[in-house]
Amino acid sequence: MSDPAVRTVDLVKQYEGGRIHALNGVSVDVARGEFFCIMGPSGSGKSTFLHLVGALDRPTSGEVWLNGRSLSSERDLDTVRAWEVGFIFQLHNLLPALTSAENVEIPMVVSKLRRRERRRRAEELLESVGLSHRRDAVAAKLSGGERQRVAIARALANSPGLILADEPTGDVDSKTGEQIMETLLAVRRQVAATLIVVTHNPRVARDADRVMEMLDGRLRSSGQL
Amino acid sequence: MLILKNLLRRKVRSALSLMGIAIGIGAIVSFNALGQGFRHALDAHMRETGAQLLIINKTVQDPAFSRVLKEEQDFVRSLPAVKNVSVGTFSIAAPRGLKVKTFMPALLVYGRTPGDPLLEKFRANIRGRLIEGEDEIMLGTVAAENLKLEPGETLELFRRTFRVVGVYESSISFERIGAILCNVVLQKELQMGDAASIVFVYLKDTAAWERVKQTVESAYPNLAAIRSEEFTLFYDQFEYIDWYVWIISLVSLMIGGLGVLNTMLMNVSERTREIGTLRAVGWSRGRVLGLILSEGTMLSIAGGLAGLGVGWAAAEGFIRSAPRDFFATRYSPELFAVAMIVALVLGLVGALYPAWQASRLSPIEALKYE
Repeated sequence: MSDPAVRTVDLVKQYEGGRIHALNGVSVDVARGEFFCIMGPSGSGKSTFLHLVGALDRPTSGEVWLNGRSLSSERDLDTVRAWEVGFIFQLHNLLPALTSAENVEIPMVVSKLRRRERRRRAEELLESVGLSHRRDAVAAKLSGGERQRVAIARALANSPGLILADEPTGDVDSKTGEQIMETLLAVRRQVAATLIVVTHNPRVARDADRVMEMLDGRLRSSGQL
Repeated sequence: MLILKNLLRRKVRSALSLMGIAIGIGAIVSFNALGQGFRHALDAHMRETGAQLLIINKTVQDPAFSRVLKEEQDFVRSLPAVKNVSVGTFSIAAPRGLKVKTFMPALLVYGRTPGDPLLEKFRANIRGRLIEGEDEIMLGTVAAENLKLEPGETLELFRRTFRVVGVYESSISFERIGAILCNVVLQKELQMGDAASIVFVYLKDTAAWERVKQTVESAYPNLAAIRSEEFTLFYDQFEYIDWYVWIISLVSLMIGGLGVLNTMLMNVSERTREIGTLRAVGWSRGRVLGLILSEGTMLSIAGGLAGLGVGWAAAEGFIRSAPRDFFATRYSPELFAVAMIVALVLGLVGALYPAWQASRLSPIEALKYE
């Protein structure tokens, strides 16, 4: 049996010298290709979990394994973030001065692709999220929904096996949120990536293969709460 | 793409920073061009005499104070390798002594001997004639124009009245702004006795210059025999001018450097979240460092190029507004190269701290930055 896409073992994260316990021993496996959803109130530790799995931060203790490889032994988390993980943030975090296509190209800068190849790939990705007509629009001029769809295209830029989305519909109205999730699920199906979404929104969780809830830094199956 | 766009996002700030660098580089270019122009004109003046060696008294700081005694002149003249010797005296007359109402910073006064090649060379290009008597004076074209004098008119100088007998043309700016009178008169007025300021030495064999130089300098340790093309290299004060030029330029540069530092610090501070995003999508610390350094470098290259133009315009503007022929400019490829290297270093140094600060940001902290 192959290794899970993500495995966390007794994951603990503390801040301010142990005064704040963000995660209190989270152990979970996420299978390859699974759409895994974590719900929970603000401050429960959802985003912290996503940051540790996405190699944005290191745990205080415990371990994160991606595709059978422990991140504890990885000195260079930049490479992990560049090639294995695609991030979608609540506030999209696009570079406002750049166009949609240039924003999608940003993760590919670390690759060996030539500029023309990067541009072609960015245009393909924008087409897959229905934004090919906005490829030359500056990010600052895009609507909230368009920005988030550009962020989805950017997350797929280096074809990662794992997509992490932190409240992807949190900054848009419900209708736009529906469209964003449709787009996200459609492209995720195309690339057969594992998807972990943390959200408040039950409608987002509706299509998930599995939903768990985070409370006080502990992960439980939704029925347990 | 990203580098240029980041700089263009804050156009006014980038433009102000660019101007800071441009002014600093402009100061380097203009001051050096003027300094080099002065040196070049003086060297050309000495070279144009055709003498292979110039004998001066090295115990004084300025050639105007140099005294080469008659005995020393005769010694040089007696050397077998020497074909001919011309003696010259030199002084600078203050405008208040001229009693003319014209904007003329000074009148360069040369003492020459009638019949000497240093005087005869003007015969072909003179309106009027060469000086023959002690109460006669010749003026360079620019000096005549500034003093509003024509041949036949008189000029009061050194409490004496001289009759202007000729107005000469010269390719040397220091001669055009000068006056020539009999050497004995200038010697008398400067109380030099029969000493000269400079002895111009013409050799039978130009290759013998080194031997003559050694002979003269060992016989008279107070004298220096300088090759005419190396005249300005001999004088320390030109080095002081260079130092002043560089000190003034460096002060301007520091202001420019602080401009880059300030611009890049503000850029980094404003873009903390963006830097967090770049780190989140896999950009390494080194790549972020390179991005900020590249922005500083691009700013400084643009500022440096603008500075070349600013420096040229400032120096040429100065030349046009200053009395004619008193100043000259000279631009060398080396000057432009040094100016651009300084601009580049300035940009790198100014951007180094902000770049280091940006590269140290943890992605998580940067993404949370409000």
